[in-house]
Amino acid sequence: MSEKYEAMFRSAEMSLVQLYVPQEIARDTVYSLGNRGLVQFRDLNRKVRAFQRTFVPEVRRLDELQRQYRYFYSLLCKYDIKLYEDFEDEEDEEAIAASPAASAHKLAPRTSKIDDHVENGTLIEKRMQQLVEASEQLELQKSDLEQFRHVLKAGDEFFAQSAGLTSQDSRDETFPRSVSFVTGTIPRAKAGTLEQILWRVLRGNLFFRTVPINEPLYDAKAQKKIYKDAFIVFSYGDIILQRVKKVAESLDASLYEISDDQSNRSKQLLEVNSRLADVYTVLDTTNTTLETELLAVSKELHAWNTEIAREKAVYETLNLFDFDSNRKTLVGEGWVPQDELGGLQLQLANLTETLGVDVPSIVQVLETNRTPPTFHRTNKFTAAFQNICDCYGTATYREVNPGLPTIVTFPFMFAVMFGDMGHGMLMSMVAGLLVFNEKALGKMKRDEIFDMAFSGRYILLLMGLFSIYTGFLYNDMFSKSLTLFKSGWEWPSHWHVNEAIEAKSVGTYVFGLDWAWHGTENALLFSNSYKMKLSVLLGFIHMTYSYMFSLVNYVYFQRWIDIIGNFIPGLLFMQGIFGYLTVCIIYKWTIDWVAIEKPAPGLLNTLINMFLSPGTVEEELYPHQAKVQVCLLIMALICVPCLLLIKPLHFKFTQDRHQHIALPDNEAGLVQHETNTGAEAVEDDDDEEEGGHGEEFGDVMIHQVIHTIEFCLNTVSHTASYLRLWALSLAHAQLSTVLWTMTIQIAFSMRGFVGVVMTVILFGMWFVLTCVILVLMEGTSAMLHSLRLHWVESMSKFFEGEGYPYEPFKFIPVEFEDEL
Amino acid sequence: MSFYTVVAVFLTVALASVIFWVFAPKENQTVWRSTVILTLAMMYLMWAFTYLAQLHPLVAPRRSDLRPEFAE
Repeated sequence: MSEKYEAMFRSAEMSLVQLYVPQEIARDTVYSLGNRGLVQFRDLNRKVRAFQRTFVPEVRRLDELQRQYRYFYSLLCKYDIKLYEDFEDEEDEEAIAASPAASAHKLAPRTSKIDDHVENGTLIEKRMQQLVEASEQLELQKSDLEQFRHVLKAGDEFFAQSAGLTSQDSRDETFPRSVSFVTGTIPRAKAGTLEQILWRVLRGNLFFRTVPINEPLYDAKAQKKIYKDAFIVFSYGDIILQRVKKVAESLDASLYEISDDQSNRSKQLLEVNSRLADVYTVLDTTNTTLETELLAVSKELHAWNTEIAREKAVYETLNLFDFDSNRKTLVGEGWVPQDELGGLQLQLANLTETLGVDVPSIVQVLETNRTPPTFHRTNKFTAAFQNICDCYGTATYREVNPGLPTIVTFPFMFAVMFGDMGHGMLMSMVAGLLVFNEKALGKMKRDEIFDMAFSGRYILLLMGLFSIYTGFLYNDMFSKSLTLFKSGWEWPSHWHVNEAIEAKSVGTYVFGLDWAWHGTENALLFSNSYKMKLSVLLGFIHMTYSYMFSLVNYVYFQRWIDIIGNFIPGLLFMQGIFGYLTVCIIYKWTIDWVAIEKPAPGLLNTLINMFLSPGTVEEELYPHQAKVQVCLLIMALICVPCLLLIKPLHFKFTQDRHQHIALPDNEAGLVQHETNTGAEAVEDDDDEEEGGHGEEFGDVMIHQVIHTIEFCLNTVSHTASYLRLWALSLAHAQLSTVLWTMTIQIAFSMRGFVGVVMTVILFGMWFVLTCVILVLMEGTSAMLHSLRLHWVESMSKFFEGEGYPYEPFKFIPVEFEDEL
Repeated sequence: MSFYTVVAVFLTVALASVIFWVFAPKENQTVWRSTVILTLAMMYLMWAFTYLAQLHPLVAPRRSDLRPEFAE
């Protein structure tokens, strides 16, 4: 196999190919292509409506089958049976995707097998439906009988109570003949309503009692188990009783007739109990049968569903194909990475051989002026970083991929804000855990948050490692300093208590910030000045680095006018102002101002005065400073009209020539379509305008004005934006200092047993808060800021992002969605 | 110890980058080259700025909470 282009700096070169596949092996061919995931098929039937396409009946049939499978799955969920899934398949597929020879051997399942699936599906569904129906019917009967039983039991209570009442009031021993009653059950929530309504309807001529039933009962209307009350209503007269019954039924009560005689009631109870026992047995058998069937289905369902989903994907892809004139060959068109063409041809040849068909499939490369999709080959390390950039926009075909430098700059910018050795170690340890166990974790089912951490594990790892490095430079480890090297400062030889003393410089600390600064009164003064300058310098360098990619792009696409009209004026403008500032910062650092006994000029004022009062310099940084600054200012000012005018004017002068060239260009494109495809009418629809055929001078001018204003303002605002590096690292360092002093430091002032206990408790508190607030929360915030620096400050310098992603036809693992 | 340290380290880093460029692994070469060299560059820059900021200090650390015993 030919060596693959890495396709990381620029997207892979793609070619448009045409596949001629004999109709009888079309399904197998597409199936094997789906295993491999190479071709992004174009829709050749754009004008044909979705339901008029060739393979719609097949897709419909499979849709129906998938619906049945979803029904089985919902039943499995209902009866709490786990779906049996095997993971070994997936590794197999990875191996297949790697080699074309192997994928040819994994053939599509026979059509008869699919037919079997369809038949089986319908059969099983019918059987399931019957069983479920029967079970539901039985369930209803069961609950009906149970309610009857409860009412019967409650009846004893009713009559006992009312007997007590009557005897106390010393009336007749039994109710008068005309008094009769209605009994039943009612959902507990509606019992009060029933009583109220009956009270109003019968004007108080009733006796109402309820007894709560302690176990929830199945209700047919609510389709679930709810709590109910048994009730009894005594009243006069048949008509009134009819009315009571109607009211009760309208409130979803179920009525049961019981006898007012004790012995009759026990007889009824016996009868109900025996009937219930019967129902229980039948229900049990039904449920066992249903569960056995479901268990059998659960073992196969995943495999079936995968197979059917693939089959459906194949037919949906075939719907994108076109028939040739004599309807014997299917013609498909799609994008393939150029370096995979050989593999594709080999695969198709292997397939024809295995299937034993004498008509081979043909792959033909088309010449086209259509823009191909953008395809960056990523691996498990680069994928997450590429994802960061793709979230913002898909790179234009063959433009410089911002995902490549992001691998380093993103975690590093993060680390500048998050610089602390201790926190960096915590983060790298977690990330390391994810990376070392990635095989095991990769197979696991992950929830959303954990999946995010898992897929970004390499970002986390680099972020942690770089944080250790920057923390080392900041000399911060959980807000404490390390005294690794000899300090560059020396304190005086003796002093009194509480005397303010100042250290003397005896050298320069070799690596990172001098620990002598730790805890001093003016530590912030120094670290702020240092971190502020650091962020401006890093920001400027980051932006310049990104800006250089635009040059790389212009050279690659041979857009010379953009180099002259955009790149050079922009570069001079940027370097003339902020490039000058960075040079000044570094120059000022290199001069020993104390030794030459001159006051060190403030750089901020220097820069401001460069614009406000050009030509005058109050405190000189270096000789001839005023002249240099005036020159730079004039250069920057000249750059603005250049940026504004060169490109539109060039467009204006070349416009006429441009149009003359454009015409034959267009024709050639059309001719090509006619020769290559049968459906030129369709083709013209989606042809993208390229090379700005339809652009007017006005459009170009407006576009350039916007670009100029944006660029000039952004030069200032983006540089200022990098000050967030300073702000966040300051906040992070201060927060960790505060956390230390407010928790664990308190414990160090205590002695004895209390001191021991407090140390343990406060350490726990300190550690938990460190993890939650400093690592997790601050880490998230620093990550978002770093993300912004990449999307806005860096990518705006060169990234066009007008491409569309390459999404080859590939089988994806299917899973049932949880509908519940 | 002076500005020349920064220059010397720069030359070392540049040399290391060139060496890595040549001997980068063949598989995923672009990613290796870009990542390692960019890392070296960023780490160097950060160190150099920190070093330079302390090279000729304009302010000295000051404190009044040190106990006299610390001097010995």
